[in-house]
Amino acid sequence: MKPTVILVGADKGGVGKTTVARAVADYLIGKNITLRAFDTESPRGTLKRFYGDITETVDIGSTADQMRILDTLNTAQVAVSLIDTRAGALAQTLRVLRDIGFLDAVREGQFNFILMHVLGASIASLEEIAETAPFVANGHYFLVKNYVNETTFFEWDPETYMSFFSKSRSADEVSIPKLSEMAYEQVDIAGTPFSTFVANKTADGRSAAHSFVLRGYVRTWQRKIADEFDRIGLIELVTEAPDRS
Amino acid sequence: MEQLTRVYFCCSPNKRSGSTTTARLLIDYFLSRGRGAVGFDTDPHDPDFAKRFPSAVKVVDTAKIYGQIDMFDRLLVHDETPKVVDVHHRRYDSLFDTIGQIGFMEEAQGAMVQPVALFHVDASPDSLNAASALVKRWPSLRLVVVRNKGAAPRGPDARDILDQFPHAERLSIGAIDWPTWKAFDAQDFSLPDVLKAPPANLSIGALIGLRAWVTPIFRQFQLFEMGLSMENSRFL
Repeated sequence: MKPTVILVGADKGGVGKTTVARAVADYLIGKNITLRAFDTESPRGTLKRFYGDITETVDIGSTADQMRILDTLNTAQVAVSLIDTRAGALAQTLRVLRDIGFLDAVREGQFNFILMHVLGASIASLEEIAETAPFVANGHYFLVKNYVNETTFFEWDPETYMSFFSKSRSADEVSIPKLSEMAYEQVDIAGTPFSTFVANKTADGRSAAHSFVLRGYVRTWQRKIADEFDRIGLIELVTEAPDRS
Repeated sequence: MEQLTRVYFCCSPNKRSGSTTTARLLIDYFLSRGRGAVGFDTDPHDPDFAKRFPSAVKVVDTAKIYGQIDMFDRLLVHDETPKVVDVHHRRYDSLFDTIGQIGFMEEAQGAMVQPVALFHVDASPDSLNAASALVKRWPSLRLVVVRNKGAAPRGPDARDILDQFPHAERLSIGAIDWPTWKAFDAQDFSLPDVLKAPPANLSIGALIGLRAWVTPIFRQFQLFEMGLSMENSRFL
């Protein structure tokens, strides 16, 4: 199995990048895929709050931190390195990955690269698609529609919708369904991964007293996300064998 | 605790099917036997069920998440106290949709809670479709077909349609004459109190009518409970 880098990002803020990163982490851990995570929201990352044991906060602009992520891909003993980029840092992160030769290594088959591009409800957000797609020519590019924020992505206007979504034929779409606000907030307060909340546990493994109704909503939401990740074959992508050529 | 805690959903997708009457009778049945019971009225606008039992029945708005938490979190407490939910016909679809979304049936099984749907039939095709849909969605759900002979309107094809309802388990609520119904429907009426010590202003005819009406209903409740207990007994 070759090491995989999953980058979750968007240039627009408030589109739910960390929610998507948490959903990816939960799904992969649930499938027994070994994982480490990097939160580029330096110095205090949100992802680290939920996955403190496996998350490091990094500054993607710093060479030392770039080395911490990329020089250890082959030696880290984990299948997946998940990078949650801070708002506005997607283009910068992609340029860094290109400049240090990571994207070339992906083209040569040394690493898998998956980009989860989280879209927002603005033309500016959709314009990012055309700018981003060339960086992922040799990776797997997913446009993530995060409905947690009740966004419509201009689906009510087919012309606008198609003008953006048809620009990147290589990208597949992933939908993150809506989750009840109260359920979302309760998980946030609990400060645990979604699965831990559903299992009615605290962050340190003790029994919690979370509402059954809220746990039920989160469980159903997770199932729908898992169906989406199953549909795009995420497990197959991250367990891809290295190129022998 | 060995016994399961039972949750009775008195329901129908249609109005005037008698589900509130059954919910009332169930609470009366438990109280008249000196047992506690907890009820939920899902009609926040005109909570007739809750008005009858202000200390035992809570009004919940199941369209809102707070209402759902109030009710479902309580329903899953295994305390052997029977719970009775009067499902308002306008909430029928959304309530069972919520039950599906939050995985209530699956969670109940693990929590020693046994949901029972007391499905109130009428002779309309959508009643039959709704009952069939419940059975299809939750094959292990205990579905009891309840026919209130005084409530559900009957058409010429009633018998044919009623014969098509799933499950052999049935409860029958008899029709009630007008003076008896008037007594039963009074806001301050308490069936356990009346049966224990009939008030002076209640006519003998109404009292006899009430007893004649209630006795076979309570006997059916009792037999139904006994049947469930025997099925769930680990020694039989």
